Amino acid sequence: MLIKLLNTLLMVVVALSITGVINRTRALLAGRRGTRFLQHIYNVRLLLRKGSVYSTTTTALFRIAPCVYLGAALMAFLFIPIANLEPLLSFHGDIILVAYLLAFSRLALILAAMDTGSSFEGMGAAREALYGALVEPALMIGLATLALFCGDSSFAEIFSEGQVLDVNLTIVLLLVAYIFVIIMFIEGGRVPVDDPKTHLELTMIHEVMCLDYSGIDLAMIQMAGWLKNAIFAIIAANAVSAVFCFHWGFAAPLAILGAGISVGVVESLRARNKLSRNITYILTLSALSALVLLVGFLLMQDIQI
Amino acid sequence: MYLYSLLAAMLVIFLIFLVPKRLKVWVATGVVSLVAVAAIAVAVMAFCDMKLDAVEFTTTLFGAESFAIDKLTALMLVIISVASVATVLYSRGYVAGYLERFSSAHISIHYTALVTLVVSMMLVVMSSGGFSFLFSWELMTIASFILILFEAERQDVRRAALNYLVMMHIGFIFLVAGFVLLYNVTGSANFEAIQDYFHLEAPLPLFVILFIGFGMKAGLFPMHIWLPEAHPAAPSHVSAIMSGVMIKTGVYGIIRLMQAVEDGSLLYSVGLIILISGAVTGLWGVILAAMQNDIKRMLAYSSIENVGVILIGLGIAAVGHAAGSPIVGMCGMCGALLHMVNHSLFKTMLFFSAGNIYSKMHTTAMNEMGGLAKHMPITAIMMLFATVAICALPPLNGFVSELLIYIGMFNGVGSGHEVLYSVTGIIALSLIGGFVVLAFTKLYGVVFLGSPRSHHVAECTEVDNQRIVAMAIPAAFILMIGLMPQFVIHPIALVAEAVTGTDPTLASIHFGSSLETLSYIGIAFVAVVALLYVLKRRAQRKRVVTEGPTWGCGFTALNTRMQYTGESFSEGLESIGRPLMKDTVDGRAVDKGEIFPAPHRYRIKHSDKVDSLLGRWWVQMMHRINEYVMRLRTGRVNNYITFALVFLVVVLVLTLFGVL
Repeated sequence: MLIKLLNTLLMVVVALSITGVINRTRALLAGRRGTRFLQHIYNVRLLLRKGSVYSTTTTALFRIAPCVYLGAALMAFLFIPIANLEPLLSFHGDIILVAYLLAFSRLALILAAMDTGSSFEGMGAAREALYGALVEPALMIGLATLALFCGDSSFAEIFSEGQVLDVNLTIVLLLVAYIFVIIMFIEGGRVPVDDPKTHLELTMIHEVMCLDYSGIDLAMIQMAGWLKNAIFAIIAANAVSAVFCFHWGFAAPLAILGAGISVGVVESLRARNKLSRNITYILTLSALSALVLLVGFLLMQDIQI
Repeated sequence: MYLYSLLAAMLVIFLIFLVPKRLKVWVATGVVSLVAVAAIAVAVMAFCDMKLDAVEFTTTLFGAESFAIDKLTALMLVIISVASVATVLYSRGYVAGYLERFSSAHISIHYTALVTLVVSMMLVVMSSGGFSFLFSWELMTIASFILILFEAERQDVRRAALNYLVMMHIGFIFLVAGFVLLYNVTGSANFEAIQDYFHLEAPLPLFVILFIGFGMKAGLFPMHIWLPEAHPAAPSHVSAIMSGVMIKTGVYGIIRLMQAVEDGSLLYSVGLIILISGAVTGLWGVILAAMQNDIKRMLAYSSIENVGVILIGLGIAAVGHAAGSPIVGMCGMCGALLHMVNHSLFKTMLFFSAGNIYSKMHTTAMNEMGGLAKHMPITAIMMLFATVAICALPPLNGFVSELLIYIGMFNGVGSGHEVLYSVTGIIALSLIGGFVVLAFTKLYGVVFLGSPRSHHVAECTEVDNQRIVAMAIPAAFILMIGLMPQFVIHPIALVAEAVTGTDPTLASIHFGSSLETLSYIGIAFVAVVALLYVLKRRAQRKRVVTEGPTWGCGFTALNTRMQYTGESFSEGLESIGRPLMKDTVDGRAVDKGEIFPAPHRYRIKHSDKVDSLLGRWWVQMMHRINEYVMRLRTGRVNNYITFALVFLVVVLVLTLFGVL
């Protein structure tokens, strides 16, 4: 029980700090002083104290959607272990539940965006739905690759202690980690797929969907975003730490720094994709994940290529 | 005993013709409810392993035939009963709008066909003899044909119905050929004889012939093209029962075929055929579903996609058994069977919702709607519920069946035996899962949310209570399966045992505890969302909450026509979906160079490429044959006498050489 609580606590720490690391990295690379490490938390606290404005076009769905968005992300969050720690919840087949809970949160926000009747938000919703659909195979095959090595379909079992992995699989695991980091970029609405700092609503994806949210609702959406980022960052970190040192003391900092720095560096160094290129970008990721699975399978079978 | 009650029902339905117009629906409701209650009672008896004697009788038409009820039949009976009771309840409100226009005989024929459809579907799943099966199958086709023809004064309805009838008979020819072949080789046309046939002769040809025959009803690619034509033409309750239940009889036939295949290399090839056709059907269906701008066409394509999902499950089950891992087989089979049940529930609800909209809006074109949730709140809630269920999202029932299929596939990957098959399934199912969310958020968002796109929306009101009750029946089952899957899996595992011969305890050992946990997690999820909402409301009580117009990003002259339409919502998918479709454009889009655009009319319809491919090929061939035949029609008597002479000579020659 204590281990489970430690796991949850560490997860919360990871979720809260990734955005801070991203902001610090960006500031450092741009030569700015940048904001405080915890500035994003203060921002959300401020939002939580504010009132709200709702559009007259919207229905009750618009007011419930942020709760579903956060609730689904929160439930998914509780299934993720950090390296050898035990997650709070676990059952056989929970990796599928996590994927579908994330899909549910996506559905809630898409419908909420359609509820406002704004063409900009419709635009964001359509893009989010399409990218979400295309990234699903990458996510599932990435999880299947992990299941292939560990022969199970629950996060707790996959990352449990005693999984001694062959040194041959190093490259495969690193690629799996890479895939999950990219999935984090896509699901989190980050460069190169989406740019959270863009000024033009026409080119936004995630941000434009919450244009009509304010106050507590916006705070909920932002918190859910942290949780989603943390989920993918930790899976990636777990895959890496399965190669080197499978210990939470290694995996937790790695999740914070690895995910934070990679997002920060990518956002500082490259521009966002042209929107029409995003489809190719995401499908390439799915193809890569299928390739990784195949290579992993061949290596597992000791087939020499 | 039950069989006789069905036959009695067939006799009683002619009462429909005798009663006044408004009471006809009640006669139909009464008959269908009685039959359904009897069916459920029989099904429960079958599940409790009570001995049910097979009814055998000899007719001059078919010879000795028998009707029997095993667990698979029992499951199908439950599916049919629930959906048909909901359908007949729903039909009252829907048909009420037509009572003025249509004659008494018209309404009578409609209800007679509806009851006949229910009874014939029950006969289809009960008959174990091939010929009585074919008879009931044909009865089912004709009954549904009459049902589609309800609004027979519309030309598109007549065309769709005729198209349906032709397609079904092409499938029927395959079935007849298959069963005759079976009869020739084994001397019996029973389903049990298929197994003997597979021992005696090369099994794959018969398998493929019957697979095509059943696949036509189930809507397998490329035989799915009747679905998107027939469903928009049929009244909504008919679409509901056809899509929710009738296409499942095709899947039922495929399961019966699988049952006859014994472990071994044949099971591998069968599994591969089923898996690949499931994956192709599912992906094709879902991409086209996402592109449609007509509610009922979109729902029809979504049915095709769901049949694909069921077949992926069946394929994984077959491959798993062939590879000697009963766990994978069990998961795939349970998932597929449960998905059959699930799809019959949420698809009925979705078609009922579409019917509610059609009866108020008098159209099914999505792009004329918008903001319906404010005028039809209960329909909106019901549709949202069904949307979440069909998107396979937890905690509703669609998730449970897809979870089981996924567990099977992940097990296949994990055990390292059927990795390639399982990965194919995972890729297909995950893509399907993603696109379903796209398709249904488009449907729901464009129809119910936002602001109205035409003035008809303002005139819409909520439908009558009876239709709401009819929708609540499947909703209750959806909730029950979604929140308490551990109780539902037991009978499903029993059916899986009957089909594949695996020990049903395997199911409870392998995923019984998972489903139990899932049930708690589903309840916890609902509780968390509710708690967050309550907390939010409490916090907002102390804050200033105001209302205002939607943020227009600085633009102040917003109007409702600037909203995202269905077409623009799926625009991004078009680059992927283009090879599958043929677009027909009516009018012209605004050109990039037009700085001050004049009013434009633009309507686009995405039709299936297979549809035009098959259609064009068929028409061209008929034309060519006609040309040849017309040359013989000279109009001169002497020529015709020559033809007769030639014919006689040919017959004589053939007889001399002993060919005839």
